[in-house]
Amino acid sequence: MSTTAGRRRSHAAIARGPAALFADRSRVWWLAAAGIALGLVVLALAPTYLLLESEQRTLASVFMFVVLAQGWNLIGGFAGYPSFGNVVFFGLGGYTTAILMAKAGAGFWITLPAAAVVGLGFAALMGIPILRLKGHYFAVATLGVAEGTREVVINVGGLTGGNKGITVPAVGEKATTSYPGNTGFYFYFLVLALIAVVVVWAISRSRFGYALRAISQDEDAAAAAGINTTRAKITAFAVSGVLTALAGAIFAFQQVTIYPTQLFAVDITVLMVIMAVLGGAGTVVGPVIGAVTLQYLSEWLRDNFPDYHTFVFGGIIVLAVLLVPMGIVNFTREAWKRRRLAFFEAVRQYRL
Amino acid sequence: MSALLETRDLSRRFGGVDAVAGVSISVDEGTVLGIIGPNGAGKSTLINLITGHLKPSAGRVIIQGRDVTGRKPWAIAKEHVARTFQIVRPFRNLTVRENVAIGAMYGPEHARSARAAVDQADEALERVGLLDRAELTPGDLSVADARRLELAKALAMQPRLLLLDEVMAGLRPGEIQPALDLIGSLRDAGVAILVIEHVMKAIMAISDQILVMHEGQELTRGKPDDVVKDERVIEAYLGERYAKRARADVRQGDARG
Repeated sequence: MSTTAGRRRSHAAIARGPAALFADRSRVWWLAAAGIALGLVVLALAPTYLLLESEQRTLASVFMFVVLAQGWNLIGGFAGYPSFGNVVFFGLGGYTTAILMAKAGAGFWITLPAAAVVGLGFAALMGIPILRLKGHYFAVATLGVAEGTREVVINVGGLTGGNKGITVPAVGEKATTSYPGNTGFYFYFLVLALIAVVVVWAISRSRFGYALRAISQDEDAAAAAGINTTRAKITAFAVSGVLTALAGAIFAFQQVTIYPTQLFAVDITVLMVIMAVLGGAGTVVGPVIGAVTLQYLSEWLRDNFPDYHTFVFGGIIVLAVLLVPMGIVNFTREAWKRRRLAFFEAVRQYRL
Repeated sequence: MSALLETRDLSRRFGGVDAVAGVSISVDEGTVLGIIGPNGAGKSTLINLITGHLKPSAGRVIIQGRDVTGRKPWAIAKEHVARTFQIVRPFRNLTVRENVAIGAMYGPEHARSARAAVDQADEALERVGLLDRAELTPGDLSVADARRLELAKALAMQPRLLLLDEVMAGLRPGEIQPALDLIGSLRDAGVAILVIEHVMKAIMAISDQILVMHEGQELTRGKPDDVVKDERVIEAYLGERYAKRARADVRQGDARG
């Protein structure tokens, strides 16, 4: 037994590679912890000392997309089920908050758990039948559910206001919760983004995370290893649904008036998929990197090329997908391992 | 000795074809049942029926006296049943060690945490001789090592019933003996083992009993020595030339033993 342990340790030392440069591994953890703490302090103080209102608004949308990309990452990245309908949770979360605030006079904070429950329930309900489908079939089914749900929301106009939208009472006498302004939403979305990252990080290190990664590769083999694949997939989808619905809830309050076409827009799904995939699906930091770079890029292009920013944005995404299809995180990891930047590897490999 | 695995008239139809038709077997603790037969005889389907990857059209599967017919694969895995797949199916996004750790995490002997399972995995890796390749990804393994990984994944589940679907295919002659030794040591530890194998010398050497399948049905069964002499087996599967060689091997073995 002791020889096994000894050998294990020496193998681990070899495998550690670059990190072995630090003689004491705990030092790396301290550095990482210090870096994270510093980052949090900067993010907390930035609205007061660094950022204009408009910049806070931009960052709030960046944080929101971190949540959406992380939510997609769980089902699309870790479990390998490419959902093209995750916006349905966003829309349902938003409408839950808007309806409860506008029709029931509920305060904003009470609507958050309600939105979470709706996201969870809907994910479980739609997951049970459609998580039996795989690959393209699953993608198309989720897309269909999201499109269909939007039509339903439009058609129950009595409750949702239909195409004319619904307005939450945000100012004046009727306001149930006072409108927090740009700085407020900066913090709401920041906190939710941090929660999303921590949740995904915790899952990635847990038994559940391993189960999802196994499922993404081979469900039969995962089941043979004792993994209840049905339960794991539905749980991943449900957590994804909760995070996404909460983002939708905050978004609805921020927008004050929301419309079905806006809250159930396919564009939002497409963006979260691209952010997660380009950053690195199935990793913890990948979707964060993807969301931050793409959302910033998008905003910057909008400011500097107002006439054709979507065209340029699309072109950049096409280029990025061609050059780093495995995502920025995996690309960097590979480059570090092989000491080589292989930008045209994918182009060569897949004859693009 | 008690039967760890029993099947009663197990059957499975695919469309109009009887892939497995009324197969009844029984495997005791500490014994090895070998299954041979031509391609398409229903050997792998039989394993899939036992592990719940396929639902039987008729018949029962009984494990440790409990009827588990129709249960899901993960529920059957919890009954201390582990298997390998004919075509190796590693989790390519995980390291070799993590692949094996999955079995320790979700198998019947739950590891407390992901990390504890990773430690447990090393024991299984050591047994199959893969410990020095634990940090590689499955894509970097040779064919033989990929087979070893498949076996290590099953071992990490600490099975009482082990179903091996051609774990020796693609191994070089020199690599077969260690694999046989490993199966032998598992058998001696009380594991009930079902082996499908095309490497005749190997399966003859390790099996206590051989079941010959043909077109989904049992053709015959018996001790390895008797089975290779059976005319029907020779006709259906082995071919006359092989049979001669096998008989010669058996005689040699007798002379040596």
